[in-house]
Amino acid sequence: MSPGGSVGKWLAASGPEADVVLSTRVRLARNLADVPFTHRAEPRDHERTVDVVRWALTDTGYLENGKFLQNEQLADPQCQYLIERHLASPDFIASKAKRGFYVGNDEATSLMINEEDHLRFQVMASGLDFPEAFTAAAALDEKLESQLQYAFSPEFGFLTACPTNLGTGMRASVLVHLPALVITREIEKVLRGAIHIGLAVRGLYGEGTETKGNFFQISNQKTVGQTEWEIIETIADISRQVILYERKAREYLMKKLRVEVEDKVFRSLGLLRGARVLSSDEAINLIAGLRLGVTLGIVNEISLEQVTRLMILVRPANLQALLGENLTAAERDERRATFVRETLVHP
Amino acid sequence: MKACDLCGKGEATMKVSQLDKEGKVTEITICPECARQRGFTEVEKLKANVAEIITELKNRIDEGDSKLICPNCGLSYAEFKRQARLGCAECYTSFHDQLVPLIRRIHDAVQHVGRTASGGRKQAQMKMNVQKLREALSGAIQDEDYEKAAALRDQLRKTEGE
Repeated sequence: MSPGGSVGKWLAASGPEADVVLSTRVRLARNLADVPFTHRAEPRDHERTVDVVRWALTDTGYLENGKFLQNEQLADPQCQYLIERHLASPDFIASKAKRGFYVGNDEATSLMINEEDHLRFQVMASGLDFPEAFTAAAALDEKLESQLQYAFSPEFGFLTACPTNLGTGMRASVLVHLPALVITREIEKVLRGAIHIGLAVRGLYGEGTETKGNFFQISNQKTVGQTEWEIIETIADISRQVILYERKAREYLMKKLRVEVEDKVFRSLGLLRGARVLSSDEAINLIAGLRLGVTLGIVNEISLEQVTRLMILVRPANLQALLGENLTAAERDERRATFVRETLVHP
Repeated sequence: MKACDLCGKGEATMKVSQLDKEGKVTEITICPECARQRGFTEVEKLKANVAEIITELKNRIDEGDSKLICPNCGLSYAEFKRQARLGCAECYTSFHDQLVPLIRRIHDAVQHVGRTASGGRKQAQMKMNVQKLREALSGAIQDEDYEKAAALRDQLRKTEGE
């Protein structure tokens, strides 16, 4: 993991349908059979779980290709950047229990030990790419299982601390950018459709977060009674439909409201290139506007990958990690503006 | 004062309709004492009673939920309802009948059909055992219980050698 300027390969914006889909994520929740679930376990159970999973990661060869962090390192306030990069959850970083965290060198794979479940690991892929994400997650799952005894029942599947994650223990999601559907006010219909078939739709940073920059996360709610591939197929299907709607809406905008769209895009770019003070939220919204321009070919000198990279690096903790300094909010807003300006003037 | 139709002594304050064996309705007036003994209640009081009965039932269910405890981790079902988190894998067996309707509500299904675990590996169990034995051994040494420590050391060697 490099807290500096690089970001995970899942943000390369090179995956399928990258104009609409930023990333695909597959997360699996697993627990050890003979240890109480994290919130009810004793500190020595927490320690043992960290040790055992670390052993397993070493044996499977994963540890060689990544980094392992433990409590002291996770208590570092800078670890907020793991959340901003979607690699760890806020609860996990804030927890006082003994925890372990693994992240692969490419930042596609990450694993939390002693989050709500003993193990929660995920694989991210660029664009709409469930085969890539699921295959990698399943491979890690199999390797870990050769070393660990999972809590499993033939009736309920993989047993989790909360029954909402039972069964496959799998949460599959796609992060989509839907500015045209928002502008044309078609978004409500699409989201209602997704919810109707049992999927959840959330903002950029998961549960309870607002939809900054018109980014939405679509994921499965149900984890029992369907195979992993059935779950994935459902989300992939609805994603393909959403992609289609969004592209049609973009086409419509370009035909009917070209000047307005160009105005929005170039205002975003103008502000990003000219601002001397830039808050994190304003930056995300402007970058989202720029992203629309890049995908529509209105802006050509900046690549989608640069836009995606910028989106992560302007987040407060990532910015500080990049600059290697702890900054106040006001200092951050100023330095953010400078960083964005320099990046976009010399892309 | 009208005397009670049943005992003939008390003051009749309550009208009661009753159905005889032939299905004929007769109305009688009775005194509070006879009403109490035979369990007759006025409609208003009955309403109050229904509420009481429901509260009582709810209390009994709650009481039942706190008595329902997972023998493995000690979590009560009432506690699970409060926190929405189970205590251990065994809870799924301990609260099986209570959880099935809940799981059905959440997932529209109760039978897992996805990937299955191969049921765990010996190696994993061994690692846990080694860790536990090591902890016990250092505890015994700290307590200067050398006899116990020697036994634990032998056991540890045996487990590690497997």
